[in-house]
Amino acid sequence: MRFAVAHKTSSYLMVGCAMLAMITGGAVSPVAILVGVVGLIGSWWWEPPRVRIERWTLAWNLLSILVLVWAVSTAVLTGDFLGVGGDFLIWLVVAKAFNRRASRDWQQLYLLSFLMLVAGSVLNDDLTYGVAFLGFVLASTWALILSHLRREMEDNFLLKHADDRSERVEVRRILQSRRIVDLRFFAGTGVMSLGVFVLASALFLTIPRVGAGFFMKARQGQTFAGFSDGVKLGGHGTIKDDDTIVMRVEIQAPYRGRDAPYVHWRGVAFDEYSHGEWRRTRRAPTTRAAIDRDGPRHETRYWMYQRDDDVTFRELEAERDGAVRHHVWLEPLGSDVLFTASMPLAVELDVPARPGRARATRNDEQRLRHDGGIRYTVWSKIEPPPAALLRAAPKVLPRGFEAYLQLPPEITPRTRALARRITDGLTNDYDRARAIERWLRDNLSYTLELADPGDQEPVDFFLFDRKAGHCEYFASAFAILARAVGVPTRNVNGFLGGEWNEYDSYIAVRAGDAHSWNEVYFAGQGWVTFDATPASQDRLGRGGSGIGARLRRFFDTLRFQWFKWVVDYDLGRQVGFFKDVGRWFKRQAARVAGAYRATVRVALDHAIALAAIVVLAGALLVRRALRRRRRDGGARPPPRHRDRSTMAALYGRALRRLARRGLPRDPATTPRELAHAAAARGLPCAAALAELTELYYAAEWGGAVTGPELDRARDLVADIERALDAAS
Amino acid sequence: MTRAAKRPGLLRRLMRPPRRLTFTREGRYFVVVAVGVGVGAINTGNNLLYLLLGWTLSFIIASGILSERNLRGLVVRRRPPARIFAGQPFLMEIAVENAKAKRASYSIEIEDLLGGRPLDKKCYFLKIPPGKTQRTSYRHTFARRGLYTLDGYRVATKFPFALFRKSRDLETPGEVLVYPPLVGVPRPSPQARRAGETTSARLGRRGEFFGLREWRQGDDRRDVHWKSTARSGRLLVREYEDELTRRAVVVVDNALPADTLAAVDADDVDAATTAHLDALERAISVGASLAAAYLEAGWGVQVVARGQHVPMGVGKPQLARVLRALALLPAVADDVPFERFDPRIDSVLVAPRGLTLGNRPPRVGQVMEA
Repeated sequence: MRFAVAHKTSSYLMVGCAMLAMITGGAVSPVAILVGVVGLIGSWWWEPPRVRIERWTLAWNLLSILVLVWAVSTAVLTGDFLGVGGDFLIWLVVAKAFNRRASRDWQQLYLLSFLMLVAGSVLNDDLTYGVAFLGFVLASTWALILSHLRREMEDNFLLKHADDRSERVEVRRILQSRRIVDLRFFAGTGVMSLGVFVLASALFLTIPRVGAGFFMKARQGQTFAGFSDGVKLGGHGTIKDDDTIVMRVEIQAPYRGRDAPYVHWRGVAFDEYSHGEWRRTRRAPTTRAAIDRDGPRHETRYWMYQRDDDVTFRELEAERDGAVRHHVWLEPLGSDVLFTASMPLAVELDVPARPGRARATRNDEQRLRHDGGIRYTVWSKIEPPPAALLRAAPKVLPRGFEAYLQLPPEITPRTRALARRITDGLTNDYDRARAIERWLRDNLSYTLELADPGDQEPVDFFLFDRKAGHCEYFASAFAILARAVGVPTRNVNGFLGGEWNEYDSYIAVRAGDAHSWNEVYFAGQGWVTFDATPASQDRLGRGGSGIGARLRRFFDTLRFQWFKWVVDYDLGRQVGFFKDVGRWFKRQAARVAGAYRATVRVALDHAIALAAIVVLAGALLVRRALRRRRRDGGARPPPRHRDRSTMAALYGRALRRLARRGLPRDPATTPRELAHAAAARGLPCAAALAELTELYYAAEWGGAVTGPELDRARDLVADIERALDAAS
Repeated sequence: MTRAAKRPGLLRRLMRPPRRLTFTREGRYFVVVAVGVGVGAINTGNNLLYLLLGWTLSFIIASGILSERNLRGLVVRRRPPARIFAGQPFLMEIAVENAKAKRASYSIEIEDLLGGRPLDKKCYFLKIPPGKTQRTSYRHTFARRGLYTLDGYRVATKFPFALFRKSRDLETPGEVLVYPPLVGVPRPSPQARRAGETTSARLGRRGEFFGLREWRQGDDRRDVHWKSTARSGRLLVREYEDELTRRAVVVVDNALPADTLAAVDADDVDAATTAHLDALERAISVGASLAAAYLEAGWGVQVVARGQHVPMGVGKPQLARVLRALALLPAVADDVPFERFDPRIDSVLVAPRGLTLGNRPPRVGQVMEA
């Protein structure tokens, strides 16, 4: 490849990657993206001699001033300094790309692309940034090397010396040369940039995360359509399935694998129902949690579930240890709710540096203000207590739990009558709840097509007229029917199940997995999950095993790893990582020590045989050495082969040049005869050849060759070549 | 006066770091940017800034490793021209061989080291493929005659990213002899009365037997006086009178006043001392030019100075001998006597102008002040 083309291509690749890293975050305006992409592509051809760039300088300067004025005014008016700054940066890159002339312009372009990468680190934390960054590392290695070579060429290389003066040589000719960079150069530097990337990754993992986070701006999320912090029945239309991943969960067996059962990921819970809407009220009991703080930014919260306050952390920990542990990576949801597998016992998390005022939560919700994604560990008791225990639970309601029996006056008599009819003859709350759950599943159907109930009470409309609905209808109907027969019930929103990712062994929960269900209180046993919605699927392997589905899961793994190891990498994770590394080394050391001990044991067991082998091998070596000495007559070893062969190579080079100039050496001619022949012909190099011949004889048959002799031979060969070239 | 550059002492050489590293302008900016990104990363806790910080640091580390590999395996040789004259530019050929088997070396700068410091000129090699040798030259001028000891080479590179300039010194001592400058001088015509002229005309080609002298390169083998050779153990040849007719002795007065020499030794060189030194240099230069002019005209030339003597000789080999001797001719006090020379041969004394010096030879043909 021509040098100039290689330099330009790698530089554009570098700028392109940096731009990609910034614009894929979504914070840069579409107009700026269009200008950036089109401008960058267009500038490829905008260069001398096709265009006289200096003619356009004034126009570009005026345009840049206009864009600056626009950027400042827009930023002040909208307050979006970051986004507008990104737009302006794109303009600067395009302007510079159109005005590049010398090495200095290229360097400014590199600086601007680095700034785009810095801006991208704030505007885009997606995997696309990682991909663009990898491309940037590769391209920047090429671009910076070639830029350096170009600069050196322009600055100090192209001087042609003569005895009396020095003159500059045409730069353009060298820039068009194909001999400076070739495929090997690109491959070698490509491998090197891979090394740079690995080293950068290692440094990234190693640099201690002691950041104060004063100006921390974490990932900003969007609120997903699937999950809602409230429930309002009565809407109409079609609920769309949203594939966006909202959280990823690493969980213990038996809840992992494609055949694992669905888990309810509990988020928010409601106590009051009124006019088709569920709310959290002040009458509802507050979430009771015992908090164990480990350092200023790390804590474990234990759900108390109406336990006595004097319970010790040791007891809570003992209870926790028997539960199912899972790690949750929650995407930015625009909500402060923490999702946990039902029913949670404890959650351990890093508290952000600026938590703000803690909000009192109710209905056993856990909330924590976080600006972006968050990671935490949960211990949950997923399996409900045995039915016998629940049946035997006494009908005692703790203080404040009346809220879970609330029924609004608009609930129709036929609804209440239906509840009584379903539970007729049943003697305990568990059987009543199960009967209601079963009736709803058996008699009503699931649909995502929403119908407008008009003025009719939504639950009544669902139970008697529409007879079909989505999970919120089923959950609301269950709660109303259960409360109607005195069973303390609350409505819960969260996610159900998810998709098992076999590449990295986690459950990916999507926005479309949003779900609504119920919890029923049993004295002495706590809250138990009831889900009246007819199940369409209940296994994690729902995504299928086709190539498309597998690819989708594979890319999600990459994204997960990106967030897990890069975006959300913190001090805790760093400490854990190095502990893992330390443990690995310890294991390897133990393995090596074990192998050593085993070897020593074997050696000791067969000491005599081993000694015999060593003696035999030693004797063979001594015999061989003696034989060699006898054969060589005790002479000193011959000089190093390399020296002789270097001289031979030099002589061979001279021979080849002579042969090309019509004086080949046939096999019967000795080197001295050839030298005489050259002298007889009057060749200008005859004297040099004669001297070289003697040096060659001395090297081949006269023993060791000294450095100066080799140097002299090199000079002679150069003289011969020069003389032959001049003669031709 | 000979100005041989001193080689750095052993201790200084041992104390010298194996590599020198200096920031380039781009390198300084890069480090500032890296520090800025580092501060930003710590302040914000933004992991992507940590990633950028890792990249900048690894770029710096990779730059160090690659520049090291780039500098290794290079063998540098220099080839000075056959003759170098003070004050006249010459081309020094520098050849660099890349002895590495597979990797090319890029962007290599070579500087000759004189007295531990690089000369003002450098040679640049854009690419040296593996196993190949590339040559280029630099043009340089030595202001004064003498023996210059070049300590070695400084091999430097800004490869790969021009963030730093890394250099290493290769110790390959070499000597360069700088001859006194040759200037245009009128060659004094031979003196009119010369007994030998008539004799030689009478006696024919070989002239009359004059004496014996030691054999020199180029002498006819028929002139070897075998008896004397056998007796003395040295190869002696006959000398004939007619050889005296085209012979000249160039006598160069290389003395300086005692106070000038003392000032030079004390390194206390004032304007007067400089003037004396310049006068001596001019005298040596004129002496060399005169000898060259005689030799070019086919004359035999002998050079005589205080404590120095170049025996009679002819042709280019004699010119080399004369120039070498005059290049190395030291300044001495005027109590040092001139070497002896045959008073019958034409002689020219070249003396520094304006200096009154003792111990001049009593009988010289002509005196030139330079």
